Amino acid sequence: MTDKPLQDHAVPASACIAALRQIGVDHVVTVPDWVQLALHARLEAGEDGLALLNTCNENQAVTVAAGLTLGGRRPLLVMQNQGLYNCINTLRAVCLDAHIPLVLMVGQFGREYANLGQPATASRRSMVRLMQPLLDALGIPFHLLDRPADLPCLALAYAQAEQRGGAVVVLVSAPLAWS
Amino acid sequence: MMNMLQACGVVAQQRPADSILVATMGAMFVFDRIDAAGAPPKVASRLSSVPLMGGAAGLGLGLALAQPQRRVIVVDGDASLLMELGSLNSVAAQAPKNLLHVVIHNGTQFTGLANIASPVRGFSFAQAARNAGYRQAETFDQPAAWAERFAALLALDGPGFVELMVEPMPAQTGPGFEPAEMPDLQFERMGREARALQSFLKESS
Repeated sequence: MTDKPLQDHAVPASACIAALRQIGVDHVVTVPDWVQLALHARLEAGEDGLALLNTCNENQAVTVAAGLTLGGRRPLLVMQNQGLYNCINTLRAVCLDAHIPLVLMVGQFGREYANLGQPATASRRSMVRLMQPLLDALGIPFHLLDRPADLPCLALAYAQAEQRGGAVVVLVSAPLAWS
Repeated sequence: MMNMLQACGVVAQQRPADSILVATMGAMFVFDRIDAAGAPPKVASRLSSVPLMGGAAGLGLGLALAQPQRRVIVVDGDASLLMELGSLNSVAAQAPKNLLHVVIHNGTQFTGLANIASPVRGFSFAQAARNAGYRQAETFDQPAAWAERFAALLALDGPGFVELMVEPMPAQTGPGFEPAEMPDLQFERMGREARALQSFLKESS
């Protein structure tokens, strides 16, 4: 491992914001995520056209985002992996059964830096290791945001969610860069 | 005390045609009865949080923020709201002026079926809403007072909160009771209503 383990993997928060603007995202509904703190900081500071909604837990984040979507808005959900574990039944109701399209950026909190570039399923930590098998079991498509070159997966996730009618997850592998 | 029909009837009869109604399961069945029996039905502007206890306030909040020109009414259940009591804070933090949040306080779960006690004795949802930061919160136990006050509460800048003290419907279960199979509709209606609501919002915008 290099002495800068994140340098190939940290996606700049500014690039995430630019991608979200390009897609037409207008709300970010969130329970804060350690992996995406740099994105939170920018949103907290204020980004024109991107309203920030903090909720008390991820179940509320999902239902609020669903209401926004039905009302004609285009929200993004931001949470961390343990938050997704927390809101499975709400995702089941809103996305699997009611087919409401939602995109979630989910930070892989707890991922060992030595595991970056390796399969997350090989992580020593259950929080990281179980995520992809869980999404497979739920039938929720996911994309890996492993490096800046992966950012186009965000637009793909929205297209997929809206076409399928349901949730699509973008797994954020490493802490976002503060640039 | 009022009954469920009186509690929900006020909402069904008095809410504006362009408003949105989000309800949990107990209230949903009563609104179904009212819509089936009365005129004019407002089915297209309804969304049921079913089967999903605790989801109504979040759905209503998102809709209220997305559609600020419309009134959004959430009819929650006491056991449902307890599951997501923090949603009071999530709503209050956004302070949607067009949201009225009503909770049916009947102290039971599986109301009208088994009436299992909910851990809510002595708890004031209205006080919790005030503490969270709702602009106003009132409690009613008489149907006439609720009917008289509804329009004014809906017209006030929200978020507003109403706690309705409602008697549980009689239980049906007991020795020999055999439950009917849950129909597919129970698992499909949220999606159906979501699509109908989207069409309604587009057509009436």
